[in-house]
Amino acid sequence: MTIQETPSPPSLPEEVEEVPGREITLTVNGRPRRVRIEDRQLLVEVVRGQLGLIGTKVGCYNGDCGACTLQVDGEIRKSCLVLAASADGAELTTIEGVGGPDGALDEIQQAFWDNDAFQCGFCLPGHLFATRDLLDADDDPSEQDVRDALVGNLCRCTGYVNLVKAALDAAQRRRTTGTADRRSIEEEGPRPADACTLHRGPRP
Amino acid sequence: MTQSPPRPRPRDDGEATTPPPFAVTPEVDGDTAVDREPAPGRLHPLRRDGDLLLTGRAEFLDDIALPGLLHAAVLRSPHAHARVLRVDATAARQARGVRAVLAPEDADAQAAPLPAFFEPSIVGGKTSTFRILAGTKVTYVGEAVAAVAAETLADAEAALELIEVEYEVLPAVVDAEDALAPGAPLVFGEWGDNLLAVFPFAEGDAAAAVAAAPHRLSGELHTQRHHTAPMETRGYIASWDRAGRLTFWGSTQNPHPLRTNLSTVLGLPEDRIRVIATRLGGGFGHKFNGYAEEPLVCLLARAAGGPVKWVETRADALLVGAREFSHRFTVGYDDTGRILGIQDRVVGNIGALGSWGGWSMTFPAGMTFPGPYKVADYDIQSHAVVTNKAPWNGARGYGKETACLALERMVDLIAAERGLDPADVRRVNFIPEDEFPFWTAAKHLDSGNYAGALDKVLALSDYRGLRARQERARAGGRLFGIGLAFELTPEGGDFAGSFVRGYDTSTVRVYPSGAVTVLTGVTSPGTGNETSIAHLVASELGIPSEQVSVVQGDTDTCPYGFGNFTSRSLATGGAAAVLAAREIRDRMSGAAAALLDCAADDLRFADGNVTCVTVPTSSLSFAEVAETVYRRGLAAPGLDQPLLEVTRVDLPHNFHHVPDEQGRFSAYPSYPYSAHVAVVEVDAETGVVDLFEFHAVDDCGNVVSPRFVEGQLYGAISMGIGGALWEHQPYTTDGQPVATQFKHYLTPRAGDLPAIRLDSQHTPSPFTLLGTKGAGESGVGGGLAACVNAVNDALAPLGATAHHLPLNPPNVLAAIDAATNPGGAR
Repeated sequence: MTIQETPSPPSLPEEVEEVPGREITLTVNGRPRRVRIEDRQLLVEVVRGQLGLIGTKVGCYNGDCGACTLQVDGEIRKSCLVLAASADGAELTTIEGVGGPDGALDEIQQAFWDNDAFQCGFCLPGHLFATRDLLDADDDPSEQDVRDALVGNLCRCTGYVNLVKAALDAAQRRRTTGTADRRSIEEEGPRPADACTLHRGPRP
Repeated sequence: MTQSPPRPRPRDDGEATTPPPFAVTPEVDGDTAVDREPAPGRLHPLRRDGDLLLTGRAEFLDDIALPGLLHAAVLRSPHAHARVLRVDATAARQARGVRAVLAPEDADAQAAPLPAFFEPSIVGGKTSTFRILAGTKVTYVGEAVAAVAAETLADAEAALELIEVEYEVLPAVVDAEDALAPGAPLVFGEWGDNLLAVFPFAEGDAAAAVAAAPHRLSGELHTQRHHTAPMETRGYIASWDRAGRLTFWGSTQNPHPLRTNLSTVLGLPEDRIRVIATRLGGGFGHKFNGYAEEPLVCLLARAAGGPVKWVETRADALLVGAREFSHRFTVGYDDTGRILGIQDRVVGNIGALGSWGGWSMTFPAGMTFPGPYKVADYDIQSHAVVTNKAPWNGARGYGKETACLALERMVDLIAAERGLDPADVRRVNFIPEDEFPFWTAAKHLDSGNYAGALDKVLALSDYRGLRARQERARAGGRLFGIGLAFELTPEGGDFAGSFVRGYDTSTVRVYPSGAVTVLTGVTSPGTGNETSIAHLVASELGIPSEQVSVVQGDTDTCPYGFGNFTSRSLATGGAAAVLAAREIRDRMSGAAAALLDCAADDLRFADGNVTCVTVPTSSLSFAEVAETVYRRGLAAPGLDQPLLEVTRVDLPHNFHHVPDEQGRFSAYPSYPYSAHVAVVEVDAETGVVDLFEFHAVDDCGNVVSPRFVEGQLYGAISMGIGGALWEHQPYTTDGQPVATQFKHYLTPRAGDLPAIRLDSQHTPSPFTLLGTKGAGESGVGGGLAACVNAVNDALAPLGATAHHLPLNPPNVLAAIDAATNPGGAR
């Protein structure tokens, strides 16, 4: 079987046009920033490109792996699924803005390091932000709670064993140091991760 | 990449549970001066650069910012098999932002064919010629045909649309058995068939032994194409300076061989090229060198007159295949389950051959037989078959996982058929502890206590309790399965003729300040070997780990080395660094002996000081000795050796390249092993497998960094589990890859996996400097086989056998249907 493909006639290059763009205002890790963006740019491209914050990683450009996670107005978001133009006026926190200004680690970061929760470290933005999000809502999560909270992120190095251990350890540290936020312990209702986790009945 | 030493941090109470720092035993390594027992307060350091990674300051390939950096995009074949009649890139050259366009003829004019990562002809296989861009024929969807460099990636990708390629589509073959059938389309016409090679591994007379055995059984087993999917994809940056010297940054596991290959392809003296391997976001074999994009970015950068970066898309990464094997086996055994003979026809569907190295996984796939078992008569024929899928590249496990799976299924099938406990069948077949070193056709097994590891994992998992739970669950109509697996993992392979070598080189350099730098030929894909190497050198010199930096992956500064593969980094680069550090210590001892007026043998290197043990007040700091050597060496009595820089290679050990009188050889020096127990429940209605317990015990000899070895096991086991249950790169019958994103290629998420529980055993290698064996790949085969055995154990009450992987709901339901509804699908 041989098929002769008929090529379409060569199209001439389009007129060289300016890529549509705009200027947006952001607060990035506490500092005001004005940046010129192309309308087609994703938030992750602007954060890594114009803003030079390379701690936010790209693993899939498809919302699957979570390496591009950051906070937009206090909510964790996968920044490869956000058009930069839509974030105009937003407050962003990236992995660079999580610890202290002198590079000091917060309890979660220190717990990750002490528990050897990562190997290559590429997936850390997603796992750190997801853990933070969980612990801000629940200061004493169960192992299953942690696994539910991490489910939007992929890691290929650790099998999640030490990530889970680290998250539980971080919760303990927060409780010990009194930095745990207890505000939502009493709140009822589903947590964000519940929707995408298969919960099973008791195992035999 | 240079690993900066971590800032010293105070110890707190939390450290008390840290695993012991250093487990080298005196029996094996009588020369080392390090403490034998975990010394209080001298604990293994945390993973280097953890603070940088945790705060987003660690740079990977895609984070490198160069002024004027251009972006490359690659036009890939949409056809599985086609002649390339014409490539017209005229329009693309005029497109917005475009700075360079390469068609096949442009690349051919400037570059030689691609050297293979592992040339098949070295081991008697067929081969072909591969170009950077395919100008005459494409043999898989995704093969590079043309490339563009532009000011933005968007512009580069847009310009690809303007390149016209005229193809004459040829019939494609995607199934390995189809490819072996007479009249199949030929992937490489000049071969006359699609068989790259057959690797036989045999001892005795398997056919006769099987025929004479009291019992025998046969079966087929199929593992799907699945790969490693590191979170960071590949990427390369090339930059030419005005003098014509090339700097190349690569997300690669093998910087030195990559540079050698660039030199060959570009016709450039090797010293005109600097390759820098960046920090890796996972490797696992995916980042072996040998890809066309390596020289491609160099040509684009030269043509564009500016630096060019190419980063692999996830869809591109998912083209790279691995691990698609089938087994057709017959095994003969006696009443006790003792295996008397094994015949296995192994077929690897390696996709189209390319310059990538993964096809060679078909070699260990056969070589690993008969695993941990003592079998006098076996005949394993491992076939490497080409098809019109994308080629394989290396994948953690490297074919050893498929041997483990096949062997462990055979053992469980024997146990089920004889009504024996699968643990007992393993026990009667193990190579006894007192028979090591033990020869098989292609392995000289260093040491082992297999029964010990099995017993340990049975205890860890409360195996008897599990069987009791299973009985109760089955009584309640639930499909509860327990899967054992025992994995033998040949590690540290040495393949003369290739750059896959079993030795490596390290330099230790001491500066006048007392700072120490290790430069080594091995690289780290994120495993932590840099931390362990620093710890080893620091222990030899009696200084804190923080005083030792480790430089890897820079061909301008590091000794020539082979990089990262086959779980060899610590056993080779680490051992070489220890040898170099010992020579440094000897030289500094000579100087300190003169300065302290003390016999060199009486000097002790500890706590950052060099102390005379007979006169403890007589002491100099390590830094004082170093500075004195620089300032006064050759000018004062006794200061005879001014050079505090030593390069050492670890001597090859336990390699047997020349076949003995019985034709036996051994290309791997160390044979770690591990025992696994998986526990699952299968939902017969949905086919969903719930894996809810996993236990493992590993033995990789002496361990330098227990916590990092645990981390390797967690990752490897998870990869094996992923392959058993979910991960799959399917193709359509006309050769189109279906899995192009993580929504198709299902790697395990946190909610899919149980907390893996580990224990360990330590049987030192008598051959390696530190008594270590490889660590890194162990666990892939065990995770895979234990899960598959557990699912089959769960399905046993239905009489079903699930031998088509992955054991995802469709395949599990098909297995149940085949057993319970033989007339047809439900």
